[in-house]
Amino acid sequence: PQTAFANSSSDLKIEVKDIFQTTVSGIVLDSGGIPLPGANVVVKGTTNGTQTDFDGNFTLEVEDDAILVISYLGFVTKEVAVDGQSTINITLADDAAALDEVIVTGYQTETKRETTAAVSIVKAEELAAIPSGNVEQQLQGRVAGVTVITNGQPGTTSQIRIRGFGAFGGNEPLYVVDGLPVSNTEFLNPDDIETTTVLKDAAAASIYGARAANGVVVYTTKQGKRGKRKTEMTVNISSGVTDPNVGGALEILSPQDQARYTHIAYENDAAVSGDPVDYRHPQYGSNAIATLPDYLYADGVSGASASQVNLAQIQSNYENDPDNTFLIKPNLAGTNWYKEITRIAPISRFSVGFDGGTDNGRFYSGISGQNQSGILLENEFVRYTARFNSEWDIAPWLSIGENFQATYRSVTGGFGGNGGIGGANSESVILSAIRMPSIIPVYDEFGSFASTKAAGFGNARNPVRVLKNDNGDDKAYAVGGTGNIYVLLKPVDGLTIRSSLGGTYSNSHYNSYSYKYLGDSEPQASNGYSEGSNYFFNWTFTNTASYDKLFGKHRVKALAGIEALNTGVGRSINGSGINPFSTDLDFQSLSVVQSPVVNSNQFKGVNFYSLFGKLDYSFDDRYYITGVLRRDGSSRFGENNRYGVFPAVSGAWRVIAESFMQDQDVVSDLKFRAGWGQMGNSNNVDPNNQYSLYASDRSSTFYQTNGQASGTDEGFAASRIGNPDAKWETSTTLNIGFDASFFNNKLEFIFDWWQKDTEDLLYQLPLPGVTGNYASAPSVNIATMSNKGVDFEIVGRGNFTEDFSFEARVTAAFLTNKIEALAPGLDFFDGPSVRDIVATRNAVGHSLSSFYGYNVTGYFNSQAELDASVDVVRDEAGVAVLNQNGETTVALDAEGKPIPAQDGQGLGRFKYEDINGDGRITADDRKFLGSPVPDFTGGLTLNFKYKKLEFETYWYTSIGNEIWNQTKWYTDFYGVFEGSAKGPAAFNSWTPELGNNAQVPRWESASNFSTNTVGNSWYVEDGSYLRLQRLSFSYDFRGDLTDKLGLTKLKIGLSANNIWTYTNYSGIDPGVGGGADTNFGIDIGNYPVGPQYMINFEIGI
Amino acid sequence: DEFLEIAPTGSLADAQVSTSEGIDGLLIGAYSMINGNLGGNRGSTPNHWLVGSVLGGDANKGTDPGDGAALATFQRFQADATFNEINGLWTARYEGISRCNTVLSTVAKSSESLPAEKVTEVNAQARMLRGHFYFDLKKNFNNIVVFDETVLPTDIVLIPNDGDAWALIEADFQYAYDNLPETTDAGRVNKWAAASYMGKAKLYQKKYAEAKTWFDDVIANGVAWNGEKYALLDDYAKVFNAAFDNHVEAIMDVESSNETGSVRNSNWFDDLNYPYLTGNEGPGDCCGFFQPSFELANSFRTGADGLPLLDKSYNLPANEVKNDMGVATVDDFTPDAGPLDPRIDFSIGRRDIPYLGWKPHPGQAWIRVQAYGGPYSPKKFVYYADQEGTLTDASSWTRGYATMNYPIIRFADVLLMAAEAEIEAGTLENARTYVNMVRARAAKSEFWIKNEDGSDAANYVIEEYPAAQFASKESATEAVRFERKLELSGEGHRFFDLVRWGVAAEEINDYLNYEVQFLQSAYSGASFTAGKDEYRAIPQTQLDLQPGVLQQNPGY
Repeated sequence: PQTAFANSSSDLKIEVKDIFQTTVSGIVLDSGGIPLPGANVVVKGTTNGTQTDFDGNFTLEVEDDAILVISYLGFVTKEVAVDGQSTINITLADDAAALDEVIVTGYQTETKRETTAAVSIVKAEELAAIPSGNVEQQLQGRVAGVTVITNGQPGTTSQIRIRGFGAFGGNEPLYVVDGLPVSNTEFLNPDDIETTTVLKDAAAASIYGARAANGVVVYTTKQGKRGKRKTEMTVNISSGVTDPNVGGALEILSPQDQARYTHIAYENDAAVSGDPVDYRHPQYGSNAIATLPDYLYADGVSGASASQVNLAQIQSNYENDPDNTFLIKPNLAGTNWYKEITRIAPISRFSVGFDGGTDNGRFYSGISGQNQSGILLENEFVRYTARFNSEWDIAPWLSIGENFQATYRSVTGGFGGNGGIGGANSESVILSAIRMPSIIPVYDEFGSFASTKAAGFGNARNPVRVLKNDNGDDKAYAVGGTGNIYVLLKPVDGLTIRSSLGGTYSNSHYNSYSYKYLGDSEPQASNGYSEGSNYFFNWTFTNTASYDKLFGKHRVKALAGIEALNTGVGRSINGSGINPFSTDLDFQSLSVVQSPVVNSNQFKGVNFYSLFGKLDYSFDDRYYITGVLRRDGSSRFGENNRYGVFPAVSGAWRVIAESFMQDQDVVSDLKFRAGWGQMGNSNNVDPNNQYSLYASDRSSTFYQTNGQASGTDEGFAASRIGNPDAKWETSTTLNIGFDASFFNNKLEFIFDWWQKDTEDLLYQLPLPGVTGNYASAPSVNIATMSNKGVDFEIVGRGNFTEDFSFEARVTAAFLTNKIEALAPGLDFFDGPSVRDIVATRNAVGHSLSSFYGYNVTGYFNSQAELDASVDVVRDEAGVAVLNQNGETTVALDAEGKPIPAQDGQGLGRFKYEDINGDGRITADDRKFLGSPVPDFTGGLTLNFKYKKLEFETYWYTSIGNEIWNQTKWYTDFYGVFEGSAKGPAAFNSWTPELGNNAQVPRWESASNFSTNTVGNSWYVEDGSYLRLQRLSFSYDFRGDLTDKLGLTKLKIGLSANNIWTYTNYSGIDPGVGGGADTNFGIDIGNYPVGPQYMINFEIGI
Repeated sequence: DEFLEIAPTGSLADAQVSTSEGIDGLLIGAYSMINGNLGGNRGSTPNHWLVGSVLGGDANKGTDPGDGAALATFQRFQADATFNEINGLWTARYEGISRCNTVLSTVAKSSESLPAEKVTEVNAQARMLRGHFYFDLKKNFNNIVVFDETVLPTDIVLIPNDGDAWALIEADFQYAYDNLPETTDAGRVNKWAAASYMGKAKLYQKKYAEAKTWFDDVIANGVAWNGEKYALLDDYAKVFNAAFDNHVEAIMDVESSNETGSVRNSNWFDDLNYPYLTGNEGPGDCCGFFQPSFELANSFRTGADGLPLLDKSYNLPANEVKNDMGVATVDDFTPDAGPLDPRIDFSIGRRDIPYLGWKPHPGQAWIRVQAYGGPYSPKKFVYYADQEGTLTDASSWTRGYATMNYPIIRFADVLLMAAEAEIEAGTLENARTYVNMVRARAAKSEFWIKNEDGSDAANYVIEEYPAAQFASKESATEAVRFERKLELSGEGHRFFDLVRWGVAAEEINDYLNYEVQFLQSAYSGASFTAGKDEYRAIPQTQLDLQPGVLQQNPGY
């Protein structure tokens, strides 16, 4: 090499260096010695660089005194001097504090170091760990402050609540996938997800303005990485089963015990009435000792003895009329109905991801399939996805990109409206299994389903028949695509302009069959068929400009944006009819049914038009301040209040960067954060709220005016009363927190104290009956609600030996939810009733959906107590002086107090607390009995790594919530549907000896105020629980074996999920949901979450 | 801003319903509330099977204690103001009033663009219906909120429940009488429905002389929708047979039909009021509600003279109607052989008696829990075997959606009300004539229930009243009142009659004390409290929604 044309000393220096150019190569490894593909290796101060290949190798031409900067996401960036070496092997340390971890927030990304807000990140592998049909379920316990209420149906929608319940409805967070707001995330394949960020406070979320009040969950899918390299393929395969946990199901009485306790009930009835005992059950004989019949039902005769049954005649009747001829023998061993409706259900999922890049572009594509059976027969979930994400440079200042996913999704045989959330409120098949007496076999002697046509067993429907016949042939699916295309412009240094157009289109169709069945006591008289279809389309157009520039120690980032979107237009059509000529599946359609009814509907969605901006300023990585402003306009509101403005400010002080913190090695990071801001919510209001409308409705506004026996005339009625003045709900959030880590990041704390006050809550103030109740009441901005809490996260990590490390992560949240005000003059509203029992009340001063009813103080244990329990006459001072019979002495209880009079009172029945002390139990004696809102929720993840073996366990707990166990209403009172299956509570029903220790009231037929017709504290149980959600082992084969096989990755894992629960709750599963935020926590035949056992393979090529 | 305006879909705005056709639609919407359907509440049923018949002692709730458990509390007079069914009754009737007022106010706004005859034609129907809804509220709650179409909703909610309902009811019926035509579509109200209802309103107010004038007018001049003169049908059974709907005895009906896209347009209110576990051999198949009472069955006992036992001796052991309590269907049973009014077997389903073309009632096999609900099944509003699928709507899970019209007022009812008015006027012989018209129809032996062999299904004995029974006001009154019980049983009138006669406490407590012997768990602890139980509680929900405006009824 030669020196040439050197004309200044500095130039000379460069030239000289050029002379000593050399080739350096090496391998980049992680601390476990595993090669890191795709790590950046750059010569410091230049653009000269490369990326490591799939074995972590790199080769680079450098000057021999160059300094290499080696960086890799999630690892501490390292600088190495070349010093003339030709081979350099580099080991990168895990960047435990991950301060430079990139967080995808609203419309932009930032590093953890600079964030001033309360945001949480969920690791991609945590989302993928438990196979569920909906990734949102995996947020449970992973993010402090996020409550997930779900159930065991595959593909079910869950109730996700970020930092409490801001409103009476519409509390679901905003989901954003690759910048595109979506109404749900059920389409996402967890293996496609790169990052998940939960924006919890206003500082983070208010950039989403009117839709951010319930927090925002931001997903980004895998994007591929830039740099010319081999395309990488990753294959994930999981397979396993869900176990229905039959052993943990509710017990029901054996046939013999059921019969015995039926007779005990008759004896107790007789004791009350003073009449001789009437052993009257149609099956158990008329003697004191109950006997079981030879036939429960023999073609019209219930409780028949063998001698009464003419089998030949019945056989011939069966041949003539098989639908209506049944011959049912008792199942003396007892049918376990829960077992009969459930199964060990297989799950499998595969994903193949391709991750590639070139110098001027990158792409990721993935396909996946998930087949998951529910533990209930015929409950199936299927999802296939294909994703393609890419980004290409057209010029150094211009790039285009797209994210696109096509999805096929099918859920059949599930139950409950609203994607499965509503299952807990309907009379589900699980409840049928609990109500079906064990003496009834699944099938009769002819192989038909046996059921309650046999008299004396209540009105449950054979749930196996319901599942197999009515669900087995059902089909339902949705196909759709979602995605966006975008353009990135970088006209000048630091400025990025992004324009994105995205949307979702989906189309769905279902066929549903129900079959005539005459064997139930409340039979299904017709064959039914229904079919329906809909399409849905939404779009979002977003334009943003962002600017990021460092001026010495001053850093300025700015973002400005404009966005227009529609939440979804569409149409639906569905029809139903009965008794097609043939029930052959190939024959049935709406064209061949009788009495066809067709309905259709159209919707136009809601338009939003928004302007927003964000300004971040930081000084010397020590002081940060951020301001956010968004203005939203929405067609949901009338012109008076169409626009809302949502500001937020937040700041942070990174104490660790101060000079006085440099000479210590205890604290490795310390940052204080504070933020204030406002966010909106408009979910809980009908798009037509501003209009007064009339509608026609076949069931409520039609009338036959011509005297015909068929058909009807169309009429109208006022269907909606408009409120043109409604506006957003506004929640004001204050968040104060700190992030700290100690001992070289071996111990980390993230702490946030927050308060969220929601004002102008939209509430459909119930209209007094006198104004008419058919028209929907308008939502008015009237109520206020407060939520406050503390979220924290503690992470501890360390090494026992060089090969043996651990990490422990605790996420925890305390929450208080309180309704602060409803409407003037209105202090509460009640939830709906289940079998005439209203369990919940939403009242000022209490949490949403608080339980409300009479307080059981014990049972009436003696005749003396009953005699004392009479209405009293009081003197002016309120002292009882006369009983209702005019006697001057009033019987008193042991404590010298009169016992209040109570309707339906009797020995062994509930005794209620006389709260207002007026001597009579009335509606005024109800009180609040608990709340389904947990005080505390938390998750604990423990991870141990020994060489290539990894063990992980994950626990979840919910503490301080109550459950209203409505299921007991069916199983624990003889008088509820006499003859239906009862539980072992019968054994501990009231006797004089048991007294207040009895588990349930006296076993008798009575059904009244003092037994089972009103809600009371007996239904309310502690719903706290601790659950071992996950236990997994995995082994990473990377090393010689993978090299030999030519693989970049090979990992095998075994895991078990939901395997153990500790709770005092007596029902089947304490994870109880509900149909609405104003009415949840009621257990009535919920779909339980069963244990799962899985094996997983991850292969990289 | 245009981008932020989205017009609502699938509904109509003010301008669209203010047209002539729109107003017709609103009027049909008002008619639609006659069937009381606002969410399918058992308290709001138009036939008052719960609040009129069960409370009055015609029947008990029936079925199983746990099925409609709260109704059991209600039939014992223990339900308090929170009893949800009563809120359903209140809201459904006020919804009806609201729809009538919407019609009237929309007509008022648009009257310039409508022909004058259209205005009166629509207004007269709307006011007739409004009068009906108010009447229903008045007899159930007594203290109610009264307003007409000129009051704005914001003011309605401030009106206390002490309005003069009778004034508005009478004004509405008068307007309807003055403006409605005689002949109409079969399903609409006509002039004579207004006259009949006016007479009924006068009777409830004990304005007997005025009532008599109205009833005289109806009896002399009243015609049905098709112009035919009102009359009693020959065959009592035809009154309760959908095949004969809109007959000359029907004065005002709840119209019912099938194939409408919703079973709510058929008899949704009786959908569970069928024998239980009948399979294909019986109607409905579910659910065993509304079981006729022992006391009602006994009431059909006659003496050898064919007259009812007005001294209540029908409840003496010697006279009680023999029933199959405790007798299994497979065991033998011999039905009652004593003299019975033939209407018993049109009104009550009982063991071994032919049941509407189905098989003879098998007794226990069709009863859900005999010890709880007694041995009887409902029969009056149950459809015939040959009507399955043609006069029922099969599009729902139960077969029990029949299309029989429910008579709000029928001519026999008018005759018996007229008889009451005649007694008060001192024209006892006229009263006897009316009562005997009703009895004479029941006495037509060719229409009695027959066994397959053509013999009478029971020992039916019925005669018209001799003059002696109507010799004094007291004995005449006794006879007329008892005739209402027999003729109109199960039709939702009994409780309201007992209350307006001022005998509810005595009669109902007698009933409860009798019935509890057989139905211990259904009725133990039940009693009627005079001064309280005559009217239903103002629903707690409504008191909560209008605090300080509505006052609770006495005793609650």
